[in-house]
Order: sequence, then C-alpha cells, then structure tokens
Amino acid sequence: MAVVTIEKLCKRYEGAGEPSVRDVDLTVGDGEFMVLLGPSGCGKSSVLRMIAGLEPITSGSVAIDGRPINHVAAKDRDIAMVFQSYALYPHMTVGANLAFGLRRRKVAAAVIDQRVQSVAERLGLTPFLARKPHALSGGQRQRVALGRAIVRDPKVFLFDEPLSNLDAALRVTTRNELVKQQHELGTTTIYVTHDQVEAMTMGDRICIMNGGKVVQIGKPLEVYRNPADTFVARFLGSPPMNLLAARLEQEGAHFFAQVGDGRYPVEGYAAEVLARYANRPVTLGIRPEDLYESTSANAAGARLQPISTRINAVEPLGAETLLLLSVGTGEELIARIGRETELRPGQSTALMLDAAAIHLFDPETTNAIPRRP
Amino acid sequence: MPSETITSESRDSAPAGDASAIGARTASRGTIAAFLGPVLVIYAGFIFYPVIRTFYNSLHTVGPQNTSSFVGFQNFTQLLFHDATFWRAVGNTVTFTVVGTVADVLGGLLLALCLFSQAPFGRLLRVIWFTPVLMSYVVVGIIWVWLYDYDWGLINTILRWIGLGAFEQSWLGDPHTALWAVLVTHLWKWLGFNMIICLAALYALPGEVLGAAELDACGWFAKLVYIIIPMLRPTLVNLLVLSFVGKMMMFDLVWIMTDGGPLWATETVSTYVYKRAFNWNSFDLGYPSAIAVLWSVMIVAFVVLMTRLLRQRERLEF
Amino acid sequence: MQGARASHPLGLWLSHLRRTPLILFLILYTVVTGGPFLWVAAMSLRTTPEIFDNPYGLPAPAHWGKFVDAWTISKYGTYFWNSVIVVGGAVILLTIFGSMAAHCLARYRFRGSRIVRIAILSGMVLPPQLLILSLFQILLQFGLYNTLPGLIIAYVATQLAMTVYILEGFFAQLPQDLFDAARMDGYSEFEIFWRITLPIGMPAVFTTVTLNFIILWNEFLYAIVLLTDDDKRTMPLGIMHFMGAHQLDVGMIATGLMISIAPVILLYAFFSDILIKGMTAGAVR
Repeated sequence: MAVVTIEKLCKRYEGAGEPSVRDVDLTVGDGEFMVLLGPSGCGKSSVLRMIAGLEPITSGSVAIDGRPINHVAAKDRDIAMVFQSYALYPHMTVGANLAFGLRRRKVAAAVIDQRVQSVAERLGLTPFLARKPHALSGGQRQRVALGRAIVRDPKVFLFDEPLSNLDAALRVTTRNELVKQQHELGTTTIYVTHDQVEAMTMGDRICIMNGGKVVQIGKPLEVYRNPADTFVARFLGSPPMNLLAARLEQEGAHFFAQVGDGRYPVEGYAAEVLARYANRPVTLGIRPEDLYESTSANAAGARLQPISTRINAVEPLGAETLLLLSVGTGEELIARIGRETELRPGQSTALMLDAAAIHLFDPETTNAIPRRP
Repeated sequence: MPSETITSESRDSAPAGDASAIGARTASRGTIAAFLGPVLVIYAGFIFYPVIRTFYNSLHTVGPQNTSSFVGFQNFTQLLFHDATFWRAVGNTVTFTVVGTVADVLGGLLLALCLFSQAPFGRLLRVIWFTPVLMSYVVVGIIWVWLYDYDWGLINTILRWIGLGAFEQSWLGDPHTALWAVLVTHLWKWLGFNMIICLAALYALPGEVLGAAELDACGWFAKLVYIIIPMLRPTLVNLLVLSFVGKMMMFDLVWIMTDGGPLWATETVSTYVYKRAFNWNSFDLGYPSAIAVLWSVMIVAFVVLMTRLLRQRERLEF
Repeated sequence: MQGARASHPLGLWLSHLRRTPLILFLILYTVVTGGPFLWVAAMSLRTTPEIFDNPYGLPAPAHWGKFVDAWTISKYGTYFWNSVIVVGGAVILLTIFGSMAAHCLARYRFRGSRIVRIAILSGMVLPPQLLILSLFQILLQFGLYNTLPGLIIAYVATQLAMTVYILEGFFAQLPQDLFDAARMDGYSEFEIFWRITLPIGMPAVFTTVTLNFIILWNEFLYAIVLLTDDDKRTMPLGIMHFMGAHQLDVGMIATGLMISIAPVILLYAFFSDILIKGMTAGAVR
C-alpha cells in the first residue's frame, strides 16, 4: 500500500521573490499513475524533488501511507526516481548501476544478483549488463534508469520528464512500455511532464499546474472535456481550444452567445448560473474539431450553427486539414476539418459550429463558468 | 567556393600558397613567415638549441671559456655509481614528490568539497585561499622561515602557549624535520590551485547523478568514494601529473629556505645541478648537464608510466 | 535537520556533516592562509627591535617612512624598477609575438602547421634544468649574461609556449565568418589580425598578460642564474640578497616583501576572477 498525500506544499528558493510552489494539495492512490502536467517553470519538478527528498520543503507536508516524510532523509523514503537525463553512473557497468543502490543498502549478494537478473530480463537489458552507459543508445539508457528504479522495489516511483530526451518514434513505444511495466508492478507512480500527449495517454489521473499552483486534477478525458479555466482549456488539445469574446444574451428561458454577428444557443448550463452573466461579456471556447465544413458536417448529436469566417490559410496535413480563420470581430480561430477541402485562402465561407460543444469562461477570472450551481 | 573545399581538407594538404593565395584558410608564405617568424626564431635560438646543447654538454667536460672535451658517458657513470650526494638528492626529491603530490591533490579536493557544499562566504574564501598561489617563492619562503624560527616563530610559540612546548623543534635546522617542513610550506602555497581546479570540476558534475546517488543510500563518504572521485578521475590525474612534475623540479623554495641543508637533508636534484654548475670548486658544466638530462628523462618516464596506469581508457561522457 | 541551505544535490552533502566542524575548519584554514600576509604587512610597518620585542603585535606607531627607506637606502627601489623593466619588456614581447603566432596557427592551414604547433607547445613541458645551463652559456657568449635584456629574452622563451597555447585555443574559437567577411571587404592579413583577432580576443590576451606578469614577477631560478650584479637584480633576487646580508633586519625585509607583493595584490584585488581563471587555465579538463 502506498498512498501519497501532499498537503499545502510550498517551496520558496533562497533569494527568490515569489514562491515556486504554492499550497499544492494532491492525493495519489495506491497503484495509481498520476501525471503532473504543466509548462516549464510551473513548479512540477520542484514538487517531485520535494517528494523525493532532494529539495527541502519550505512548508506543508508530504506523507506516505499517512506517515509524514518531511524530515526523513531521501534514502529512507523508499522512493525511486527516474531522472530526465537518466543520471546513470557513467563509470559503472549497467549491472553495477542496477546493483548499486542495493549494495549500499547491504542487501545480500545473492538477492542482488537475482533481482538484477530479473529486472534485466524484464526490460530486455540482459545483453548489456557488462556495458557502460556511454556505449548504450538513448532508449537503452532510459531502460537502465527505469531498471534501477524497479530493482529497488520501492513504494513510489517518481519520473521527471523521462521521455524528453528521446526522439519522437521512440517516445511512442517507450511510453507504452512504461505504462505496461507500471501496471504489472502496481507501484504508485508520480510522473512529471510538459507534454500533454504523454499526460493524456499515460495517466490514470492528471494534475495540471501553472505558476506554482494546482489548477485542476481529474481523469484525462474529464479534464479535456471540462477544463477548469482557459489555461487548462488551451493547454490540453492540439491545436488548442479557440477562445472568442462573446456576449451572453437572455431571451426568456434560453440563452445565446453573441459572437460578432453569429448567435449560438448555449446548452448544458443551468439557467441560474447563466443568469448571472446575462447581457454581460463572456469568453466562448470552441475546440478546433468542433468546427465543420458545411458540406460535410454530420456529426451525430451536433447542434450545428453557421459561423461566418474568412480563411487566412489552409494547412493540409495529410490526415486532416487545418484552417486558420478570422471572424468578423477580427479574432482568429483554428478549425480542424477533413482530409481534403476545396477551400482556399482569401475566401469567405460559413463553417458549422457545434453549439453543444461550446464552453463558457468568465472573462475576468478566466475560470470556466460552472455548468451546475 | 571551390577553392574553399580544396583548402578545407586535411590540415596540411594545402600547399603554402603563393602571393595570390585564394581560400579562407590560406595566406601567402610571406604572411605566415611574418606572423610565426619571431616565435620560431626565439624558439630555435633559445629553446631548441640550448636543449640540444645540454645533451651535447652532458657528454663533455665543459670548462670556463667554453673549453670542452669529449668524455663519452663518463659523466653518467660517475653520476649513477659514484655520487652519493646525487642519490641523496634523488631520495629527498622523490620522497618530497610522492608524499607531496598525494597530499596536494587530496587536500585540494577536500578544500573544494568544503566550498562546494555551500559554505558561507564561499566566493570570498575562494579568493583568500588562492592568494598563496600568486605569491613568489621568495615571499612564501621567507615568511615560513620566520614561522619556523626556533625562538620567536609562530609555530613554536603556539606549541609553548598550549603547553606542548616539548614538541618545539628547530624545524628547518633538524635534518629529520627539515624536508617535511619545506613540504608543508610548499603545500601551503599550492593547495589553493588544486582547490580551484577541483571546484570547477565539481561544478561540472551532473547534479542528477548525485541526486540518484542520494536516493541510492549514499552517505557523504560513499558519494565521495564511489561517485565523485571516479567521475573526477581525468581532472585528478591531470593534477597529479602537474603536481608531480612541479615537485620533481623543485628549486626555488629549497634554495630560499634551507639551501639544501642541513647536511643535504633538503637537497633536491635541481639545487644540486645549480651547485655543481656554479658553486663548485672546479667549473664544469658537463656534469650538471648530465644530471639535468638524466633527471629529465626520468621525469618523462615516470609521467608516461603514471598516465598509462591511471588514465581511464574510455571517455565517459556526462 | 535537513540541509536547509541546499539547492544543489551535493549541497545535501552538508546535511550529512554537521555544520560546526566545517565552519571551524573554514575559519582555521582561512587564518592559516591569510594570516601570514597580514603578519608581514604589520611587520613591514614596525622596526626590527619592535618586532623582536613582540613579534605578533600591531604596528604602534606605524612607520610609513620605512617604505621610503626601503626604496632608497636598502635599494628596493632599484630592484623594483629592474623587475618592472624585465617583466614589462617580456610581457610586451610575449603578447606581440605570442598573439601573432597564435593567430597564424589558429587561422591558417599550411604544410607543417601541425609540426610547428607541436613544437611550440612542447615547450610547456620542458624542464628548466635542460635549458638553463646552456642558456647561461649562450648568453655569456653573446654578451647578454648579467644584463636585463638577456633575462628578458630568457623569460620570453620560457613563457611563449603557454602564451601561444592559451591564445591559440581562444582565437581558434572565433567564428570564421568574421574573417571571411573581412577578407571580402579587402582587409590585408595584418589588418585582420590587428582589427579583428586582437580586439575580439582581448579577454584571452588580458588573461595571458596577467598570467605572464604574475609568473615572471615572481620568477627566481632564471634570474638567479643569469644575473649577478646587485644593481641589476630583480625584486625576488634583491630580497634574497638583502636577506643574506642583513638576516636579522626582519623589519626591513618585511617592508621589502610588501613592496614586492604590492603589484600582485593590487591586480588581485581588481581582477581576482581573471587571475584565478588564468592561472588555472589549461589544467581543467
């Protein structure tokens, strides 16, 4: 059992004006794969290092299975970490790298041997045991780093952007590998990355951080579908969600979002919530995939409304096409449509917008307008 | 540009062009001669020629007014088999070097580790600790001669003050302690140098590897022995070689502090060479030249041996 | 207590050591390193009887006049100027010749450049004993023995290797594009050297200047072999000579030491970073 509880964790570096991590609250369940996602500098690596014990905690607490570990030395926390640069000991062989932590802990030699062999087999490293890290490829080194963590059989795995030094193709296969290993081992895992694709595909839950704070925690698809604010809305999804300035209008019991000269019914929100924003500016969010060419729009459940646009650029990507557009107000949008299109830059055309997929955000706080009160 | 591809091939394949040299990396013979000339002339006249001449002299007896007579290897046999003073000097120098080199490099590493672990006032301490490196041997030597003075030197004064008066010595006057006293002074001068280099090397260590060691249950000693020293190996080997060579050729400090005394206890090979050349009853440059040649060959041999033994074969990248 | 000041993993090293012994050691070593200089500084302002009376006291009163006496009566002034001439001359020549050779090696490829480079750099590993006796003979032959110019030449010869090594390393890193552009603009080779390599390479030049200055200001062996007249002696020699003749006049010797140290300390105070980097250049791998 390894439940990691983080409460009001704060970090301020010496001499820095602002704290890098502010009041982070997070609970990771036993065996869960939790991804800490955020842009560079958002504090996620600091959080990870504080959990590992490589960074002192300014305030707040970290506990494993209820036992606070703030003042426990890193080596006694029963945590293993895979570093971004793998951090293999360059002067030792792969076998020695794997065995080092166990040797230092005075584990019996026979046990060490057996564990090293089994981990090497598990990760396909057996032919490399006698090699030194500089004779290995990036992917192989990454596996050694993973192996070093696995061989310790710890309560918690920590990963600090382990895939960022790999090339794109290797990244895809390796992230599958990692998830598969984690499921087999069932070890609680906290994984830091700035890559939203990794987060979406690997995490049981994701925790999004920005500016040192936790912005949203939830299952990947839930966070995708219900972003808590404009930051999350634009961070997940590529191309990012389009945000437009709009006005919320009320007609009796129905609400409409007025964008330029387009008028879209707003659904899926409780009337009392929307009433507060009646006749006031709101930010309207619509994902690129929820805009359709009028000729091909037929998505089930879509409530399609036309939106008049001017096409600035057409980017055929092969599997899909991106349209860079402007609306009447001058704001720019990106739409994601089918493989081929007749549309050309400079044309004005009406695309179809799925009103059921509209997100509304408060323009001042940038928070999402809640669907229920 | 075609001419560029030609000239940018292997280093020496391009002929030294004529006056119309074309290409980014060529210049006319005249230009090159002008740039390199002074250095080559100085080298030829004041480095190469003297070295060759020394080798030549070692096979001769070279008297005043440049009279020299060929004696073959006589100087060398005399040196190796009949010169007790030479061997005494060799013994002193080698002892001095072996102990001193290890102390030098280890001490420098420990000092660097002290500063690296974020001691307060790190930058200021760095500057202060480096100061002796910049001072001439004359300054350093004289200061320490005074510190070692039997009557009013600081060392004996402190010993008396803390009640260990029984240990007071004539540090430089006693043949048993003199060499070690000079060694301490030499270390005092040079530890700062090794410290700076080790410090730079420590900062170049990848932080994540040290973090990994932390998680692998390494205490400070284990980290030092299993991670830091192995990863610092190229730097440490360089320092060992530099220190070794410097100490094998030691002249200045000994000359200033003890003049090789008392009773040849601190005589080094270099001071012996000087004495045989300029302070001997008969003037002969051949014999000291032979010593110089022999000693230089021995130093080179030792350095090659050390490097072979200690250098790591692969380049570890990190 | 978890190392509160650590923000580098090795800083956690510290959490394993308790702070107090470390702080004590730091203080002790600082006293051991810096103390002697302060002591000499104090002694330089006291008369010898005062010193023998209480070797470790403070100057009371401070006899600034001793410096004047040292300069004139004890001839430290002469020694100082000799050092200035010799070291200054050598450094100037080293800078000019060294930078020209470094520029040539760094920029041009020509047949034999590799050999030339090895030959020049091998000078760095040359034991002085191999050189000095023959140099003595040669200078004697040319009437340069016991002259300041003779010593200057010897100094230039011995320091050229290191100077060229440092400068060439730096010059080689200057982007070739600059030089290509200058060529196309019609600059002659010498103008390129003068207007591009030197100004942009100034940090490295400055490093070698300070490095050569310190090494040669303190140089002893060559000076003692190649100079005998008292009024030609450089500073280190002068102090030794004075020490030999007036061993007990500790006060005056101390004053002389301070005069000798002064330029170095001055340089160090302003340029400690450059000096430290320069002195250790080439030894870091």
